[in-house]
Amino acid sequence: MHTVVLMLEGTQVTLQIFFITLIFSLPLGLLAAFGRLSSLKIISRFMEFYIWLMRGTPLMLQLLFVYFALPMVGIMLPDLVAALLAFTLNYAAYFAEIFRAGIQSISRGQYEAAKTLGMTHKQTMRRIIIPQMIRYVLPPVSNETINLVKDTSLIYILAMNDLLRVARTIVQREFDMTPFVVAAVFYLIMTAVLTWGFKKLEAHYGKYDK
Amino acid sequence: MENMTNDVMLRLTQIHKKFGDLEILKGIDLELKKGEVMAVIGPSGSGKSTLLRCINRLEEIDSGKIEIKGRVLAQNNVDNVAEYVSEKESRDILLCTGMVFQQFNLFPHMTVMQNLLEAPVQVQKRKKDEVIPEAEVLLKKVGLLDKKDWYPSRLSGGQQQRVAIARALCMKPDIMLFDEPTSALDPELTGEVLKTMRELADEHMTMIVVTHEMNFAREAASRVVFVEGGVIVEQGPARQVIDNPQEERTQAFLKNML
Repeated sequence: MHTVVLMLEGTQVTLQIFFITLIFSLPLGLLAAFGRLSSLKIISRFMEFYIWLMRGTPLMLQLLFVYFALPMVGIMLPDLVAALLAFTLNYAAYFAEIFRAGIQSISRGQYEAAKTLGMTHKQTMRRIIIPQMIRYVLPPVSNETINLVKDTSLIYILAMNDLLRVARTIVQREFDMTPFVVAAVFYLIMTAVLTWGFKKLEAHYGKYDK
Repeated sequence: MENMTNDVMLRLTQIHKKFGDLEILKGIDLELKKGEVMAVIGPSGSGKSTLLRCINRLEEIDSGKIEIKGRVLAQNNVDNVAEYVSEKESRDILLCTGMVFQQFNLFPHMTVMQNLLEAPVQVQKRKKDEVIPEAEVLLKKVGLLDKKDWYPSRLSGGQQQRVAIARALCMKPDIMLFDEPTSALDPELTGEVLKTMRELADEHMTMIVVTHEMNFAREAASRVVFVEGGVIVEQGPARQVIDNPQEERTQAFLKNML
């Protein structure tokens, strides 16, 4: 019974990282996507570089960098904030590419129709392009979100007691494999809930299709 | 009473437009009066769609002058390069134009009614309750009031195009621009769209219609303009140009169309 309580506490840490990362990385990813599509060369180049950097290096390395290298140059962050910073920057890069593809899949005719109706660029984005984009990007966003649930286990290197680290500690202490099984079940429950949620969202945003 | 100058809805002067090295419009002059229905005909690639798209700034001209209801949208600077007014003023000037596209371009994530309400509510900041009755009248006119809560994907091409016409009309434009409105439709569906357009013409809506439908041009238009190679080859009263063209190139084109 004590095991389950400890693991529930670990799950709390996992979920905390998961939700806060999602809340920050989704809007940041959208902003980065607009930056990547910007007609200003400096901005689009910078975003390209950022995305390349984040997708081109291991998330683990990014975590270590934020945690160990930043303090060397005088930037001290609390453990949780350091982890969240690395996760958010990393996931925003992936979301940016997904959103960019989504935005580019909307036909030019939609922009033109909005323009001939007198809509500003901002109105067109907010009312016409982004709502349609959401539908296209839901499946890949769902993929990344499920990845994130599992990637949160990487924070064990920052000595934070997430679900997997708690499980491992108990296994090592008691020579009993059950915590691993329990951890697996916990992850599966979390991803099952997400899968169900995204299915609902897809149905909601797809209702205008045949 | 309105004087003569107020009757001119649109005036194009020496419009030039290039795509890269290719000159699409080579000096077009055109005047459209209130209530006129102008059909623009010509072979593919003649520049007729580009001409239409230059009017509402979907394409920008390289040189020339565009005046809409007496307001200048673009005109040449000292170097003979066209300069546009600010984005904001341009949007304001163009509010009196409505456009119907070959590909309909309805907003797929909105119902028929939402498509009609979007611009009046978002752009003109009008109250939804006030626009709904007007939208209903328009939908009734195009025969689709019973489909007001449908999403566009469930409608046929002809129905979608009629919604697109109603959507443009809901902004109460003074000039309607049609860019090959029946070209993407199955032959049996063109009739319903042409009928709607003919009714608009009968109500003296000022219209420019780029079209391959010679019968429509002949019956519904007051003036036909034949464009080829980026210039206006011939223009005049619809029946005269179509039944009795004066220019050799017009004759050759019309012969091919029949």
